[in-house]
Amino acid sequence: MRLLVVEDDKDLNRQLVKALSQAGYAVDSALDGEEGQFLGETEPYDAVILDLGLPKIDGVKVLESWREAGRVMPVLVLTARDAWSDKVKSFDAGADDYVTKPFHIEEILARLRALVRRASGHASSDLVCGPVRVDTRSGRVLVDGEAIRLTSHEYRLMSYLMHHVGRIISRTELVEHLYDQDFDRDSNTIEVFVGRLRKKLGIDVIKTIRGLGYVLEPPAPPSA
Amino acid sequence: MMSRFSLSRLSIGSRLFISAILCSLIILFGAGLVLSAIYRRASERAFDERLQVYVQSVAANLASKNVSNVFDPYGLGDPRFTLPLSGWYWQIRTEGLAKPEVTSSISLFGGRLPKLETLNVPAHDGTAREGYIIGPDERRLRLVERAIEFPDGSRFLVQIAGNADEIELTIQSFAKALWTSFGLLALALSVTTIFQVRFGLLPLSRLSNEIGAIRRGSSDHVSGRFPDDISPVADEINLLLDVNRDILARARTQVGNLAHALKTPLSVLINEVSDEDTPLANKVREQTGIMRDQVNWHLDRARAAARAGVIGVATDIAPAVAGLERTFLKIYTDKNLTIESDLAPDLKFRGEKQDLEEMLGNLVDNACKWARRQVIIKASAFTGSNAHPFIVFDVSDDGPGLPPEKRTEVIKRGERLDETVPGTGLGLSIVADLAKLYGGELTLDSAENGGLRALLRLPAV
Repeated sequence: MRLLVVEDDKDLNRQLVKALSQAGYAVDSALDGEEGQFLGETEPYDAVILDLGLPKIDGVKVLESWREAGRVMPVLVLTARDAWSDKVKSFDAGADDYVTKPFHIEEILARLRALVRRASGHASSDLVCGPVRVDTRSGRVLVDGEAIRLTSHEYRLMSYLMHHVGRIISRTELVEHLYDQDFDRDSNTIEVFVGRLRKKLGIDVIKTIRGLGYVLEPPAPPSA
Repeated sequence: MMSRFSLSRLSIGSRLFISAILCSLIILFGAGLVLSAIYRRASERAFDERLQVYVQSVAANLASKNVSNVFDPYGLGDPRFTLPLSGWYWQIRTEGLAKPEVTSSISLFGGRLPKLETLNVPAHDGTAREGYIIGPDERRLRLVERAIEFPDGSRFLVQIAGNADEIELTIQSFAKALWTSFGLLALALSVTTIFQVRFGLLPLSRLSNEIGAIRRGSSDHVSGRFPDDISPVADEINLLLDVNRDILARARTQVGNLAHALKTPLSVLINEVSDEDTPLANKVREQTGIMRDQVNWHLDRARAAARAGVIGVATDIAPAVAGLERTFLKIYTDKNLTIESDLAPDLKFRGEKQDLEEMLGNLVDNACKWARRQVIIKASAFTGSNAHPFIVFDVSDDGPGLPPEKRTEVIKRGERLDETVPGTGLGLSIVADLAKLYGGELTLDSAENGGLRALLRLPAV
């Protein structure tokens, strides 16, 4: 899952990026409205955390321009202004959720999980595919009830696939959603990660569709 | 009960009318008096001239000693001198003799006319006098007398008297006509004054209507064209309204800026220590929590203070409610709630949109929090006992509700806000506070299906 954080306060920006990276997201960040608007329009993010009081371009304007440009990623708005009239304005501009400052990072993480889940059409925070289960709240991955240990990159890949069960996902899409913009994007690394993940899961759920990409599917029921 | 009459509270219209009428009455009355006096003088003079003609006739006949007729020895030719006590008399008195000889008209009936000279009436031309006397029949007479001296040394005093009633009668009929026409004139002046005052003050009453519309909130500026002498007032009022709105907007912006400025570093502090469990980290956590609550609480107060004294604002409730509905459907997506609204058409809240959204936002948020399936927002218009229109919002949910004793506690908290612990409660105390600022009220009740029902009464336009 790849996120964009647009927050002009350097410390808060750093804290958010750190906490979100630790939680297993690939995170890009912008310190002003102009940069944020550009990134949001050009990069495929799974969610955006957007502060409203931004230099150069106001947060609400950034959000409106994204929605006008047809960008539909969930946006979590961050603001010090907690009056309902401000909230109505943000939601009308296209926000999906709202957190008022000051906040605890945990709150942001919880809201983000819900947003990403909702955006991919899941109702529960537990993502299930056959014997595989991912608890997005704790970041644990279980196969037949047994926890397996994944590196953060492996978890990102697993989580992205679990959010889009049954859909063919190209390598490019995976690269775009799993790494932040500063990462050296070599699609061969994806193959390496998929291989490791298959080995750790021990069951055949990730299938390769030649020339197209990968698809996560529950294993076929054992035929008689 | 009669209200105490106070001159300073007298309307401009009444002032103009009363002063105009008083002035016209005084002027008309004075003019009437002067005219009457002039007319009286003129009438007397005309009467005296008639009498003088008789005097000259008598004098001419005296000189020629042409006394032929007993009834009319001096050929005056007026029968009234022969009718007893007719009010018309003549009398000739020889002067300079030891015993004056007096001849008089038959009408005098043996009576005597007094001498004006002895009544201290001043003479003009040295020999002629005019004046009023009381005649033998107790009637007021106008008397003209003249001393005549012939070349042979004989001297006479010729006196002719006429009935003064004749003068009085003409004067009276003149006065009657005069005062009648002056009365009509005064009436006409009053009517034109009323018209002038009304017409002249028309722009003022239009201005006052415009200001009333602003107070009621159905207009936000004094509009229309005014005469040169009061258009500066209209412009000043508009300027004041703009300044008032500007101050309010600036106060809000500054409050918001302060919030932003304080809350971001607070977030940084809170998150910086979130993973640590040292005494310092705990202290920072505790203190930042207090700071956050204090900031929020004082910001709410500051916002409320910025609201005081706003006039000329009205908010359509339908778009405000629709905006909140959209917002809450998004916020509570996971709860799968339905939000129903039933609003009477064309309702307008007399106040700021932000405040309406704050009050309704808190009520609906609270309802959504507790609701299981459904939140219903209703709004209807009422007219209060003092004829002020108001809106009642009815926000109810199908949640667990609140027991009656807790309901009053939640509302009470708004009443003694100074003792309120910041950062607690259902957000309902803010609603109650705000409603009170607008002269409204928040009451809690139970909904038909057991949930909480909040009734918010606010002034309408």
